[in-house]
Amino acid sequence: METYTYVNIFETKGLEYLLLMSFLVLLVFFVRYLREPGGDD
Amino acid sequence: MSQEPVSRDKGGFWVFLRSQLRPRGKILTPFNVISVPIILLGLGILVVRFTQGLGSVTNLSQETPWGFWIGFDVITGVAFAGGAYTITFAVYIMRMEKYHPIVRATVLNGLLAYVFYAGALALDLGRPWNIINPIIGNSFGFNSVLFLVSWHFLLYMLAELLEFSPVVAEWLGARRARRILSAMTLSAVIFGVTLSTLHQSGLGALYLMAKPKIHPLWYSEFIPIFFFVSSIFAGLSMVILEGTLSHRVFKDQIDPKKHHSFDDLIIGLAKGAAIAMFVYYFFRALIFLHDKQWTLLRSGWGAWYLLEIIGLVLIPCFMFAYGVRHRSLGIIRSAAVLTLLGIVLNRLNISIIAYNWYSPVRYYPSWQEIVVTMMVVSAEIWVFRWIVLRMPVMREAHELPSDPQEKPERAAVAASL
Repeated sequence: METYTYVNIFETKGLEYLLLMSFLVLLVFFVRYLREPGGDD
Repeated sequence: MSQEPVSRDKGGFWVFLRSQLRPRGKILTPFNVISVPIILLGLGILVVRFTQGLGSVTNLSQETPWGFWIGFDVITGVAFAGGAYTITFAVYIMRMEKYHPIVRATVLNGLLAYVFYAGALALDLGRPWNIINPIIGNSFGFNSVLFLVSWHFLLYMLAELLEFSPVVAEWLGARRARRILSAMTLSAVIFGVTLSTLHQSGLGALYLMAKPKIHPLWYSEFIPIFFFVSSIFAGLSMVILEGTLSHRVFKDQIDPKKHHSFDDLIIGLAKGAAIAMFVYYFFRALIFLHDKQWTLLRSGWGAWYLLEIIGLVLIPCFMFAYGVRHRSLGIIRSAAVLTLLGIVLNRLNISIIAYNWYSPVRYYPSWQEIVVTMMVVSAEIWVFRWIVLRMPVMREAHELPSDPQEKPERAAVAASL
């Protein structure tokens, strides 16, 4: 039976992946915010 | 063929040049009153610097051989000149014609920034006559970043001169020369943009070899990429600020029909700056996490770092976005000023403030170094103003109202070219 293995988010660079994914999602929203009506196209 | 027409043409040229050298506008303006003493004092300091050596006017030492003249004039000044390659790329490569009205002023600003700020490099060399070495092949040093930077500065100045040369041809009324030079613009732009991507990052690469000397919050293997990305929004912010000032100072030079479209240009530039800053901020955050630097934030250096990253990158980024969304030019201009301050702080942090940060003896620029820097900036503004008041920079020559006094002189020059 396998025991539970703790995954260290810092050692596995998980935090970096999370940041990168957040960046991509936020970038989409940020660009959309800049293109909303009332802004300039 | 007789020599007479040539000599007459030459005479016409000198008459024209003399007419152009006459002062235009008011002489006793606040800028003139402040800048003339600064320039005279700066020239005096430079005489001492070149006769007595660097040590007589600067606080430079063997420990700190690069000071304010490199950190501000060269490293920061070249970042501010990034607007030229960004706008020419947008106009000539991406065909964003909307920005065409500002391309000439931006290229002129970039050219002068390189001539004056990168030229200030010569002031900082202990043996300035050796500045020619990388060009003539005396100790080429192919592996040196400085080799790349020096060649790039030279070639980029020539590319910008070529990009600006149609304006000079229009000024002289040389139609054929203008046609030939205009045909070369696209090549010059492609060459210039390629050079810029390399030497903007190359300036950052100069600091790669100083890993033990730069505080870990500012040192990264990615400094070259940070320098390049930040030069995009630094240049755009500079264009916003410089464009706003030029629009006020030289309003009689601008086509009245284009006054209203200027606001749209500013908003478009702000949008570009906001996106570039957003990307830059996440780059920095990624490196911060990658290097596990959170323990460093507890010190005073950490607070200083957060001031730069949050106060002068993230906040102006959101200010740009808010300004675009609400079409608020006031907020956009304030964001541009904060962004430029952030760039100054970032470049000074890497080159001076966080450099040798552990050393008990700190470097502070002498008053002479500050005066010479102010002289360089003032002299650049003087030359910029001189050119804008005479050459068709704010709009093309055929759009300018004709000056009847100049007409015969200009015609004589045009005939000789």
